Amino acid sequence: MQFTFFHLMPWPDLKEAPTEWPAPNAAFDGERGTELYESYISTMAYAEKCGFDWVAANEHHFSPYSLMANCNLVGAALVQRTKSVKLAMLGNLLPLLNPIRVAEEYAMLDVMSGGRLVAGFVRGIPHEYIAYNVAPSESRARMREALALITKAWTEPEPFGWESEHYQFRSVSIWPKPRQKPHPRMLMSATNDESAEFVGEHKAMLGMALIVDLDGAAKTIETYRKVARAHGFDPGPDDIVIMQQAVIADSDEEARALMAPALKYFHGILMRPQQDAQRIVLQKTRFFGTDAQREHFVGRLTTLKARTLEDQIEAGSVLCGTPETVVKQIKRLKQRLGAGHIILNMKIGNIADSVVKRGMDLFRDQVRPQVAAL
Amino acid sequence: MFETRDVTLSTGPLRVHSAGSGRPLLHLHTAAGPRGSDVVKALAGRHRVMALVTPGFDGTPTHPAVTDFQGLADLYAEFITKEIGGEPCDVIGESFGGRIALWLAVRHPKLVDHLVLEGPAGFRRPSPDWPTTDPEKRQRMLYARPDRVPPDTRSVEQQAANSATAASYAHGVIFDEALAARLPEITARTLIVMGEKERVIPIEAAHLMKARIPHSHLTYVFGAAHALELDQPELVGRLVADFLERGESFIVREADVA
Repeated sequence: MQFTFFHLMPWPDLKEAPTEWPAPNAAFDGERGTELYESYISTMAYAEKCGFDWVAANEHHFSPYSLMANCNLVGAALVQRTKSVKLAMLGNLLPLLNPIRVAEEYAMLDVMSGGRLVAGFVRGIPHEYIAYNVAPSESRARMREALALITKAWTEPEPFGWESEHYQFRSVSIWPKPRQKPHPRMLMSATNDESAEFVGEHKAMLGMALIVDLDGAAKTIETYRKVARAHGFDPGPDDIVIMQQAVIADSDEEARALMAPALKYFHGILMRPQQDAQRIVLQKTRFFGTDAQREHFVGRLTTLKARTLEDQIEAGSVLCGTPETVVKQIKRLKQRLGAGHIILNMKIGNIADSVVKRGMDLFRDQVRPQVAAL
Repeated sequence: MFETRDVTLSTGPLRVHSAGSGRPLLHLHTAAGPRGSDVVKALAGRHRVMALVTPGFDGTPTHPAVTDFQGLADLYAEFITKEIGGEPCDVIGESFGGRIALWLAVRHPKLVDHLVLEGPAGFRRPSPDWPTTDPEKRQRMLYARPDRVPPDTRSVEQQAANSATAASYAHGVIFDEALAARLPEITARTLIVMGEKERVIPIEAAHLMKARIPHSHLTYVFGAAHALELDQPELVGRLVADFLERGESFIVREADVA
């Protein structure tokens, strides 16, 4: 199995939940911000020494729950601090961005890192569309067009132009091109059948986060596999990438005691303004193709928020416990979902960096050796 | 509204469908025969569009002296000289028509101003996928949006006759080495338009033309296969009109008009 260390770069110091979107930024302190970036990037670089295969970052806007407006900047910092670990950008919010810029920045990261980029492309969550003033109802069309354009920008041997509904670029020839040929592996996320079909059609790796229940996740993964095979690609276990919030500690009790308040801070304080924005976006737009998909998305988040930690452990949404316990939980994910790659999100909310680091050491010494060969 | 007339040239009559006024623009059709696509109709709003019917298509007589693409190119050069006064004019060639347009630009460079090639033929390699006699596969290969394709008003017999006529000009040559060797002689500013889902013409053909035609642009149209004008009439129409209007400056974005 393969493993990724993921960092969301949360702001850990809010005392009260912002009530409306967007979270006021008066509480942001620059000096503290510098400290956090240093600590977070050092932690991410340390993942290489702990045997993680990838280290991952993603993109969010206008939010204390993630200080990564552009994960490619974090990737560039990691290029300088790591030697062999793959750098997974999971990913750029494609419908919001200039696709040529994304193609260029990813190509830079791939070349600077010696071909270590994993290129994540995601549609994002609803509130990001307010931040970047893009119509949520255009998100699927923009995603599809931008992906095709980026692939062309990476692979075309001649200068070319591009004409689509949302993007017109009359003369393109990027420098650099990616080091990996024909281009870096792509990963896209899916939590429902529609997006799973999209990922399969594009022969990308499937990323899945915030799992509500393993049966539902297994069904979505099967859809992905079926569509990918119809497009000439047979996904292996390494192409099924599951993200889990994770706390690994010296006892199960300690892990639970650390994780419960961290999840409470994450869902109750950091995520609060996003829930407000999400409500506004989803009631007025066609961000999701059908009402059923919208209800599925909203229901998923509501379910997760309402669950106790015990419920989440039971449902397969989180990894929590001693190395021995976590090994069992990982084996269950492998067995139920066929997942050969787990992403560990260990910096949950305001959990202490020292706890994260202890968990990483336990992963290196006692978890990975038990599951790497699975 | 298009008007149809026959023009007498040295080797025989040439049928022309004409509409609009403005700078002259020749449109050279596919192997299926002329189709009044929305792109052609829209271009007639700003150009004097002349859609030439290749001799032998749609029941017109063949010219015994015109047997290949070079001959067709010479015939159309005569048309430009006699009917348009010999001034260079813009030329659009779709698929089969693109191969004629390329020869026209090679053999008569002074008669071609802007050249637009939409999925141009002439540089295919043998393929198990094309041509095909399976109607469903044929549709998949040609169209990304079959729902947008209007029914062909020609009889089945006429459709078959058009295909046979098209093949007769090629003499079995699907990769035109002579034409490939002479692409660097083209002086016309050239726009090569390819469907992002093109399956009939290999992408290597587009790269070959882009690399060898000195002043050329290669543009991919999203959501289009081989039948560009039918699959994505708005995108193709906008692109081609802009290229014909602004020439090399078409790569520079203009301000959106409020």
